[in-house]
Amino acid sequence: MVQFVARRLLEAAVVVLLALTAVFSLQFLAGDPVKLFLPTDTTPKQIEEFRERLGFNDPWLVQYGRFMRGAIRGDFGNSLRQGEPALGLVMQRLPATLSLSAVAMALALGVAIPVGVISAARRNSWFDHAGIGATVLGQAIPGFWLGLMLIYVFAVWLNVLPTGGRGTWAHFILPSITLSAFVAARFARLTRSMMLDVLSQDYIRTARAKGLGPPRVLYKHALKNASLPIVTLLALQLGQLLGGAVITETIFAWPGVGRFLVQALLNRDFPVVLVGVFLTAVVYSGLNLAADMAYAWLNPRIRYQ
Amino acid sequence: MLRISAALVAALLLALTGSAPAPTAAQERPLVVALGAEPRNLMAMRTVDWTTNVQQMNIYDRLYFWDGMPPRIKPSLAAELPQTPDDLTWIIKLRPGVKFHNGDAFTSEAVKWTIEWLLDPKNESHYRPRFAFVESVETPDPLTVRIRTKEPAPILRYWLVDFTVQNPNYVRQVGNDVAARQPIGAGPYRFVRWDRDERLVLEANPNYWNKPPAIKRVEFRFIPDFSARLASLLAGESDIVKDIPPVAVEQVNRSGRAEVRGVASSRINYLALVNFKPGPLQDRRVRQAMNYAINVDEIVSNLFKGRATRTPGALSSINENVNPNLKPYPYDPERAVQLIKEAGYDPTKLEFTLDSPSGRYPLDKEASEAIAAYLGRIGIRVRVVVNEWGTHLDKIINRRTGEMFYLGWGPALEAQGTIAELFRPERTYSGFGTPNLTLEINKALPIVDAKKRQAAWHRIQVMLYTEAPWVFLWQQHDLYGVNKRVTWHPHPAEKVYLHDATWAKR
Repeated sequence: MVQFVARRLLEAAVVVLLALTAVFSLQFLAGDPVKLFLPTDTTPKQIEEFRERLGFNDPWLVQYGRFMRGAIRGDFGNSLRQGEPALGLVMQRLPATLSLSAVAMALALGVAIPVGVISAARRNSWFDHAGIGATVLGQAIPGFWLGLMLIYVFAVWLNVLPTGGRGTWAHFILPSITLSAFVAARFARLTRSMMLDVLSQDYIRTARAKGLGPPRVLYKHALKNASLPIVTLLALQLGQLLGGAVITETIFAWPGVGRFLVQALLNRDFPVVLVGVFLTAVVYSGLNLAADMAYAWLNPRIRYQ
Repeated sequence: MLRISAALVAALLLALTGSAPAPTAAQERPLVVALGAEPRNLMAMRTVDWTTNVQQMNIYDRLYFWDGMPPRIKPSLAAELPQTPDDLTWIIKLRPGVKFHNGDAFTSEAVKWTIEWLLDPKNESHYRPRFAFVESVETPDPLTVRIRTKEPAPILRYWLVDFTVQNPNYVRQVGNDVAARQPIGAGPYRFVRWDRDERLVLEANPNYWNKPPAIKRVEFRFIPDFSARLASLLAGESDIVKDIPPVAVEQVNRSGRAEVRGVASSRINYLALVNFKPGPLQDRRVRQAMNYAINVDEIVSNLFKGRATRTPGALSSINENVNPNLKPYPYDPERAVQLIKEAGYDPTKLEFTLDSPSGRYPLDKEASEAIAAYLGRIGIRVRVVVNEWGTHLDKIINRRTGEMFYLGWGPALEAQGTIAELFRPERTYSGFGTPNLTLEINKALPIVDAKKRQAAWHRIQVMLYTEAPWVFLWQQHDLYGVNKRVTWHPHPAEKVYLHDATWAKR
């Protein structure tokens, strides 16, 4: 097990390194950011001085070496736009993203897994049909549209919830619904199809024959066996929520990482973008590792060498 | 399963308890200004950026500011307009008895410090080039600043407008980084809190020299998405939102909560005709033809519903130096065709690319498409390329646009900031320059005498009108959505001074 984790951590380090190298190289194609940050009346001589101070005039390899040496020590340089350390600016926004993702994921699982289980248990009932219909809608409605509609109905028209921002529990409601809609739909569909598969297995019939009650059969015997792919999806979706809540964070003025990184990208603020790439790569690698380890707990037949 | 649920509940609780408490009903609700982004920093005289400066201006006071309509320079931290005993000396008398938010006295020392601070390259101030001509700053007494310049620099009169002043004691004590996050100024509002990407909270300065503000608490909230900003206005959460698109004016006015208040801005929009590339646009007649071929009045009345003011030349009608004798090019497509033929081209064989931003200026993309359609009527094929803003700017700065591009410029209330910045060959925001024009501009720059300077700028505007470096379009109207409970009027130079705002009487 220890050997397995060590190998995976090494792999993760390589992934992070490659991702940083790729994005670092790509920034050279995106145009000179320096002029975008300076006022229009800056003279060419001063632009040159600014470039020189930032080290933008050095050869690619020199810049890359300097960046990597800094990155290893957690120094990604200062944001070009705000002049503060880029890592700090991103980390400040992490709690907002984590809390929203956690609430959204809890909401998604809390709704989706019971819906998936009941739909499977009562296949072709009205509940099953309604559930399937809702999941199709959940996957088909674009997040930005759903978000804006929720704002217009609940904040502008009914005036019962805030339009956006952070502050009270009420501020969580609309963004977490928006963020969880798509995720919940995926989970519900996956849970349903896995449960259908498991419910036709011999051991379920045995369990029933032993005289176990339906809830115990469904949750103890069926769901645990159906949950392997759900855990994989959970890890992937959590990664996506953490790095990809861009639209929800933007529409609801949620002060999170996704919104900040997109603004940085639009502003060509590369040090911030690189921190974003670093964090995303670390989070994905970590979640994948966590998912693999969860398999062992869920399915004792899996043993890592 | 139970364990997972417990973990989820714990996560939920953690998330909820991590957030700030709700304001109590007893507190007066703050005045909320919704902006697209947070400030880049809160250090006076460091960064040129509209969003940043709008917020800073309420914390730091300025030496001078633009007031009234048409806007004229008025003293604020200064006691009177600057005196210029000779072409190289500027004397600024300061208002007595002014204090910074921490109680330190505001004196000539603070002005001297701020100028020297911004000139020091290590502070990376965007204002350094603007003050490069400063030779020395002296403080003969606590209320007098004497600036000596290396060469005659009449533009200094304008650079002192909106010149915000740092508190030297404080900056020396805490350093640039802290001062840029927790500012201390002498302005009408003092800093309370800055929640990153959420809000900047300010409270009224009870000791402000010019009667304390009527509204006691102010919040700038950062809402990047425009639709969400509009929704927050309609829901009554925000009180001031800039740049309401003309199509949404009705919706705001019908809401019952808010209304649209507009002002003809000093920001102009233009279609630049690039003459640095070989091609038909190097010929003045072809450029004039573009002005004759486009029915600007019709675009203003139909597309903008009258919410734009046509400009005959390169300056807006409220610019101090505008030449009032220029009349807009009339719509005359036949004359346009004739001019193009005189220049030796067949209009039906001309093909241009027009680069346009989308959503940066009011109806910019739609206006570009309308322009292309008018040129299409005389046979010119125009391909409109719509760019994301960063790309658009990048193309302009690196001269990679098509033959035409759409851009806005301002706020501009004097000539130099527009003409000298746009029509000299090394500047790229216009794509136009001729040796003769450069010569005339360089001659005008050092003229200190107000009358002679005005005459020089008027003459250059006539030259520009004839050279037709642009299709001259309009001053944009800035449309602000304002909650009806607030008395506040938009400023033509895009300032959001909240000192004048009051709660409307019901």
